[in-house]
Amino acid sequence: MATIGHNNLNAKLVLLGDMGAGKSSLVLRFVKGQFLEFQESTIGAAFFSQTLAVNDATVKFEIWDTAGQERYHSLAPMYYRGAAAAIIVYDITSSDSFSRAKKWVQELQKQGNPNMVMALTGNKADLEDKRKVTAEEARVYAEENGLFFMETSAKSAANVNEVFYEIAKRLPRAQPAQSPAGMVLVDRPAEGSSAASCCS
Amino acid sequence: MSEAEESSSYPPIDPVSFDLIIVGTGLSESIIAAAASAVGKTILHLDPNSFYGSHFASLSLEEITSYLNSPPKSITAAASSSDSDYAVINLIQQPLLSDAELISCDSVDESTFLLENSRKFNLDLGGPRALFSADKTIDLLLKSGAAQYLEFKGIDTSLVYNANEGLVNVPDSRGAIFRDKKLSLKEKNQLMKFFKLVQQHLGDNEDGKISEEDMESPFVSFLEKTGLPPKIKAILLYAIAMVDFDQENGEVSKDLLTTKDGIDRLAQYSSSVGRFPSAPGALIYPIYGEGELPQAFCRRAAVKGCIYVLRMPVISLLMDKVTESYKGVRLASGQDLYSHQLILDPSFTIPSTQSLSPKGMVARGICITRSSIKPDVSNCSVVYPPRSLYPDQVTSVRALQIGSNLAVCPAGTFVLYFSTLCNDADEGKKLLKASMKALLSLPVSGNTEIILQSDSEDKKAVVLWSVIYVQKLTMSKFEAISSTPTPDGNLNYNDLVDATEKLFNQMYPDEEFFPKTTSPEDSTDDDDDNGIIMEN
Repeated sequence: MATIGHNNLNAKLVLLGDMGAGKSSLVLRFVKGQFLEFQESTIGAAFFSQTLAVNDATVKFEIWDTAGQERYHSLAPMYYRGAAAAIIVYDITSSDSFSRAKKWVQELQKQGNPNMVMALTGNKADLEDKRKVTAEEARVYAEENGLFFMETSAKSAANVNEVFYEIAKRLPRAQPAQSPAGMVLVDRPAEGSSAASCCS
Repeated sequence: MSEAEESSSYPPIDPVSFDLIIVGTGLSESIIAAAASAVGKTILHLDPNSFYGSHFASLSLEEITSYLNSPPKSITAAASSSDSDYAVINLIQQPLLSDAELISCDSVDESTFLLENSRKFNLDLGGPRALFSADKTIDLLLKSGAAQYLEFKGIDTSLVYNANEGLVNVPDSRGAIFRDKKLSLKEKNQLMKFFKLVQQHLGDNEDGKISEEDMESPFVSFLEKTGLPPKIKAILLYAIAMVDFDQENGEVSKDLLTTKDGIDRLAQYSSSVGRFPSAPGALIYPIYGEGELPQAFCRRAAVKGCIYVLRMPVISLLMDKVTESYKGVRLASGQDLYSHQLILDPSFTIPSTQSLSPKGMVARGICITRSSIKPDVSNCSVVYPPRSLYPDQVTSVRALQIGSNLAVCPAGTFVLYFSTLCNDADEGKKLLKASMKALLSLPVSGNTEIILQSDSEDKKAVVLWSVIYVQKLTMSKFEAISSTPTPDGNLNYNDLVDATEKLFNQMYPDEEFFPKTTSPEDSTDDDDDNGIIMEN
């Protein structure tokens, strides 16, 4: 969820989409400026953060990756709960991945956070000769469903930073109390002695 | 996503051989998945349901209704296997939950409201559940790294019910004792004196120790020796030490808590109060419900490479024809998969082997209301000590009210959970109904007018929807095919975590249960803060 303090915004961002659409590659390009031609399925790294300066504020994205749970369509609801933004990724060379992306949009809409910023991203735009999904088709779908749309290439870096920057700009600055803010447990010793605080 | 459509498009699971296959995503199974993944085991984690959590799931109103109305049926094997090298034994699934009794109010407006907001409810199947801020489950959440995916809020108040005064606060801190308007000055002094005694015992000074003999004696006798009045005794025994059975009726008392264990529980309660600055009481509860806990452990496991497949029933076991030892499983999809070990959720039994011996049952209830049982309090726990509802009540009833600020229900509503141990369904349900009626106005089927007109009921929160059901209790079992424990009758997860750790150590005697790692999160980020600590 997005939380605000001193012009700093913390925002949970999730990536959804078919396996192999390039979710991890987009994150790696954005966070580390890297691209690996044969990126393994996501194992071991599932949490990134990156800060962007937008106008007068900084936005710290807390980016959750799927940890491979989408492979057999078994993503846990906790993954997209409380997310301030979602990037739904498909591969422009796969119509199936585009259909799957639409299902993710439906699922997020059912979750019903009206303030969530959603981006539809057609990745692998560098593979123009293998294209199966036209930009026009995706743009129309995105407009009808209140998403913004961009084609990206994690390989060439085209539009990758722009997607995140655009999300940062669109995040509502005054987030209504949509998601309840709780506490994250941190490892610190119990305060006071172990003796009954009843008496201390 | 629509289940049928999705499962038909499953790619076959790859690879086909694992160190461990786990069936069911309940808390125990999920902790083991995370623990075994953390030490490098290859794991396939399956669940026949479309949701995570098994008997620890939090479900929408529609989901829980259909789940309780039609518990999972055993699936018969689709294909025979003449070509198999293995003997194929069908797995039997016996529902843990039974005797569900659903009541909803007749108001069309309210029914429509519930239906339209179904997905805003996250109702715990295994409730009431909460964590003590200083209990070992918190340590496990931190040690395993699962805590970073979770957010909690404090339960504002702990209450205890008695027939004369209704709900009274549990005097669980010095401040609470001073502020308490229902305790007499004498009672306050007695209580302070008792806490001082306990504090001295827990301190380093040998002089203040309670004698060995007293420590082994029943806690209830020790409390009597200190001269505490019955009301205070009941609070200490049932609302702080959380004892299940009547301690003062020798004939029915199943197990008497020793003073040693009683003091341990008091100490845990006390060190929980105020451990986290934004949680003033002893208890905390996860935002979005208890179902988040297994999901967090599953995510930990997934990050370490565990493969997740929901909506995938296991229909049979593959056993070596000669040695009769376990080799693998056959999925509903027809695929055969192999592993060294197998863990089954406790609803599964294997024909020909001894089924898990039941250890009694727990009756559970859920109510949805429009108002709080206590004005100005959203989240609270309630204990009804033995004999507080009627003379032959031999077990405590525990209840937990959670409001919409924990994202388990739409704004303007509250969810209440109830549970009690029982020997049979009728006994358990009778007790739960009595505890609901003591605080709530339950819908009378076919006639809502009576509720509205009744004077004595008008201050009670009106129930829009309720369900009562009974759950079997079984313990974990370690063999080549192991079983995890069912949700128990406790408020917290300590016993379950102990049983799970024990099962893990039996399965992997040479491995550590969540070894300390350099960083709990595998972030490659250069920024080292892994979570946001929210302002109070």
